[in-house]
Amino acid sequence: MAFLEKLLRSKALVTAAIVLPGLWPAWPLLRQDPSVLADPLKYVLHHLGFMACVLLVVVLAFTPLRVLFPKWGIALALNRHRRLVGVSAFVYAALHFATHLLYEGGFHVLASDVTKPFLISGLLAFSILLVLAVTSLHAAVRWLGGRRWKNLHRFVYLAAALAAYHQIYAQKVFPIQVVWLFGPLLALEAARVVRQRIVKRT
Amino acid sequence: MLIRSKKDWELPESAVTPEQIYRLRNRRDFLKTVGIGLAGAALLPRSLLAATAGFPSKPNPAYPAAGLKITPYEYITGYNNFYEFGLDKSDPKPNANRGWKTDPWTVEIAGLVNQPGKYDVNDLVGKVGGIEGRVYRHRCVEAWSMVVPWDGFPLAKLVALADPKPDAKYLKFTSFLDPKSAPGQRDANLDYPYVEGLRLDEAMNELAFIATGIYGRPIPNQNGAPLRLVTPWKYGFKGIKSIVRIEFTKSVPRNTWNIMAPQEYGFYANVNPNVDHPRWSQASERIIGAGLLGGRQPTLMFNGYEKQVASLYQGLNLERNY
Repeated sequence: MAFLEKLLRSKALVTAAIVLPGLWPAWPLLRQDPSVLADPLKYVLHHLGFMACVLLVVVLAFTPLRVLFPKWGIALALNRHRRLVGVSAFVYAALHFATHLLYEGGFHVLASDVTKPFLISGLLAFSILLVLAVTSLHAAVRWLGGRRWKNLHRFVYLAAALAAYHQIYAQKVFPIQVVWLFGPLLALEAARVVRQRIVKRT
Repeated sequence: MLIRSKKDWELPESAVTPEQIYRLRNRRDFLKTVGIGLAGAALLPRSLLAATAGFPSKPNPAYPAAGLKITPYEYITGYNNFYEFGLDKSDPKPNANRGWKTDPWTVEIAGLVNQPGKYDVNDLVGKVGGIEGRVYRHRCVEAWSMVVPWDGFPLAKLVALADPKPDAKYLKFTSFLDPKSAPGQRDANLDYPYVEGLRLDEAMNELAFIATGIYGRPIPNQNGAPLRLVTPWKYGFKGIKSIVRIEFTKSVPRNTWNIMAPQEYGFYANVNPNVDHPRWSQASERIIGAGLLGGRQPTLMFNGYEKQVASLYQGLNLERNY
């Protein structure tokens, strides 16, 4: 356990754990899988969006884990990487958005995007992550002040809800992965709220 | 140690047709290949084949490959929406070839017809006068497209065989139901069996086609063996696969996707670049097999078949009747 804790404190390891899964689409492309080669950019597009969702869920799980298990070394180790993981979620979302523009053939698609809830939800989630990523710089934290910074960064929950909606409507039938991705996060957040109420009362 | 016994549907590598003959460029190549494809088909064990009757098919010169770039065989047969066998486009190819039997296959013609009956698929092919080859554009509602060299027969010939009564206005097509063989049906990811419908005049249009083959060979299971509907001016989901029943009806049959999401999928499903899907634009399409940066091409009204089908929809509000 102590070993795992030490590993998880390493910024290099966490960075590798964030970057390497992003390279996954190279594998079926090298394998010449026809179902991927048929429209490879779509595969890349979906994978980048999926990675953004995963990292968003992961970074949001850090705080409730720390609140629920304040003495658990792994939760503490993970919480050292909140900014890294959060900014990475934004980077994947940005790559996903850029791939969307490439896939659709240019910025002109945005005009049609803004008429469709499925695409607006993605655009809004991305815009929120963009603001949060920019204000994650030390200078921005100082400039905003702690309280205002915290209030601003609570918008991350809205971004997560929008991302879940966006992911659900990316498929023609309900994609079950949304449940196993966002479900555990919801459970953690619920447990955290209950726990904080109990702590307040005592 | 794992000892693997060979399943009866598994083929030796030697039975696989070389890839280069699938990569056709023009009709002359296509014509040459039909013969080679048949030789390949002769090597296949009979249990694997769908409808074998009528091959080699003669290409119908009215629907040539000229001006079209035929999609490679491995994409047509490896990138499939066949939710009965899984939601991912890579699922149907393995899952539909794990013992699901498409031979023998019986299709029933029922409803408001003078000649109802049950037909073995191969007998049916004989009754409608054999099969022919046609190259059609294929446009999916998900905004991607292929060009497919089908083999089969005009649906109008089946209508003539059935001899509809005067009050027959629609055709209701029903696909197979076999949850034991179809994992998607076990998961009930849609309402099964899959149902589709056409207006009788649509069904009698020259373009409406029942496919029994692709690339001059019996149609693979994952593409809807042994009988599938092809209506190239409509989105792909109208092309119901593995048909077991065709019923002639008085009232409009509700199709599966319309039942699932009526605000997104209508009865007509005509390809229309001016009417967007609620979640994406239909103005252009990705070309399957064009590569990572293959780009898009503009989508054509009725998928480029305006001349043949526009008259069917005169006076119909296409925005409302999507």
